[in-house]
Amino acid sequence: MPDKRNALVNTTLLGLLILATIISLATGTVQVSLLDTLRALAGNADPMTDFVINELRLSRVIAGLLSGAALAMAGCLMQTLARNRLATPGIIGIDNAATAFAVASVVGVGLSLAPSAMALAGAAAATAIAFGLAGANGTRGYRFIVAGIGIGAIAGAVTQVMLSRVAIDAANAAYPWTVGSLNARSGQSVLVLGMGLTAGYLVLMSLSRALNTLQFTDAVAIALGTRLKATRIIGLGLAVMLTGLAVSVCGPVGLIALLAPELARALYRPGKVPLTAAALTGASFMLIADLLGRTLFAPLEIPVGIITAIVGSPYLLWILLKPSPRSLT
Amino acid sequence: MLNALSPTSVVASRAFFPPLLAAGFLLLLVVLASLLYGAGPVSARDAMAALMANGTEEAWFVVTELRLPRTIIALVTGLALGLAGALLQSMTRNPLAEPGLLGVSAGSGFAVALAILLGATTATLTTLVAQLGALAGCALVIAATRVQGLGNDPVRLVLAGATLTGLLLALTSMLMLMDQRAADEIRFWITGSVAGKPLSILWATLPSITLALVLIAIAARPLAAMALGEKAAVGLGHHPGRIRFLITFTVALLVGSATALAGPLIFVGLVVPFIARAFSGPDIRKTLWLCVPVGPAVVLGADVVSRLIAAPAEMPLGVITALIGAPVLLAIVRAGRMPSL
Repeated sequence: MPDKRNALVNTTLLGLLILATIISLATGTVQVSLLDTLRALAGNADPMTDFVINELRLSRVIAGLLSGAALAMAGCLMQTLARNRLATPGIIGIDNAATAFAVASVVGVGLSLAPSAMALAGAAAATAIAFGLAGANGTRGYRFIVAGIGIGAIAGAVTQVMLSRVAIDAANAAYPWTVGSLNARSGQSVLVLGMGLTAGYLVLMSLSRALNTLQFTDAVAIALGTRLKATRIIGLGLAVMLTGLAVSVCGPVGLIALLAPELARALYRPGKVPLTAAALTGASFMLIADLLGRTLFAPLEIPVGIITAIVGSPYLLWILLKPSPRSLT
Repeated sequence: MLNALSPTSVVASRAFFPPLLAAGFLLLLVVLASLLYGAGPVSARDAMAALMANGTEEAWFVVTELRLPRTIIALVTGLALGLAGALLQSMTRNPLAEPGLLGVSAGSGFAVALAILLGATTATLTTLVAQLGALAGCALVIAATRVQGLGNDPVRLVLAGATLTGLLLALTSMLMLMDQRAADEIRFWITGSVAGKPLSILWATLPSITLALVLIAIAARPLAAMALGEKAAVGLGHHPGRIRFLITFTVALLVGSATALAGPLIFVGLVVPFIARAFSGPDIRKTLWLCVPVGPAVVLGADVVSRLIAAPAEMPLGVITALIGAPVLLAIVRAGRMPSL
């Protein structure tokens, strides 16, 4: 019975996620009781409740679920591949680059591709630069991360350049992306994200054994029969895809990709890459952060990116300031 | 202070004056460009004529009332940020210790946003608040370098600073969401830009910048001694604790003033000392002297670019400095060996 603990963890997390989903659906300007929410989901509620739940809130909650899960999985994958706990897409600038490209497509600079495709291109470009510039120390240690901060800064500046060059309407339409919010989603991007997430998850499950061996040194992984190069390329490609598609829905909500895998790893049995648990945790985090943003100062809405930054940054600082961080350098 | 350079550095000083003169000349060129070129309809030729005192009234107005104050503010900002970066880097022995990257500027900006939300109105008060915020940020950074392991890991310190900056920016945006009226004013203070700032802010910051320059003149020699190690500095009759306090205070004055003038400009404090050190070598006193022309030239040059790149619109100055600065950060981090300070 090797995976009893992990299965228990996954089940618990799934339960929490379902709870978070239902609470998210029920809470808002119009408060719906949990029972009525379930009834509306089952399709037998009064028209008013049905409209609020299924028309207004469901699409937002689904977007949050999918993007949170995708970001967390990408983060977990990237941490494993770079063997660096801090190497999540948000921290090394991939989110920002994807945002810059998505904004480019919205404000109509350059090719008028769909935001999803452009965000993918941005994520891929930033990843290539980050790993290409990894330099003498490779992807371990802090230098890789700080180089990523540089990339993120450039991408952020480019976003600003584009926003300042276009008409104010186009700039306002693109603004939510630059802070991270579930308001800007388009139905099409969510659909593409859903398909990408499903496909990515299936591929990753088939790769899970190879990914587990990546936690050892290269020599050990090869001895265990892992095809290192292929695993790395596929893994990195999937991380890029998940990040890009998620950013095209919710913007750079980067810290979820750090926080969710951290929690999942703490709960999981050591030695396994907690992809499923990370995805479930990430989805819950996204929903809870969005719920907080919607309700804390209602009717004012705080973008979800600001909530995750305020909650997540102190944790990241704590990791950095602790005298001896584990599993780094 | 140049005369105070020790005799042993005479040989090295031969290679020191040409870059200083070249930087000074470059600065003059940039000032001229700043007066001549703008996003508006006044052409360089008109502006030149106005400078020669035989131009149109419109050109005269644009040059003296719009471009001149802006130029002066950019110059002072560049001076303050360049010196602050050089001081902080020398004291922490960390080539990446930049006030913007470490969260000092963001702390200053957040303090300003908070003060405006609570009803602060005058430029003097806002400047003071910006300086207090910078002081708190500096104190945090210094405390962080004392945390075991962080002080001798330059890159990790920067990462912590970037995280702190992200947190402060998020909090600032939240404050701005709270109050629409205050948000417009906060945006005026915290957008990295020198456009349209009244000279009254300059008058409000001038005393603290003067004080900072005096403190630098006092602290430069002990700081150079501290580069040899704290024990050597003690042996030479200096008090490291006092010097550290003095420098922290000076950096806070400079960064607070710069933030009040131009908003949180990230990367300037990294780029300017980086360029200066390339010519001056490790001696902090020479580096500081070189920062005097280089800092203003970099900020003003970036401002000129920001006017022209999106004309007739303008681009925030902070965007240009980020585009210049981030590659420098990449270059420093990527180098196999950190430049030692």
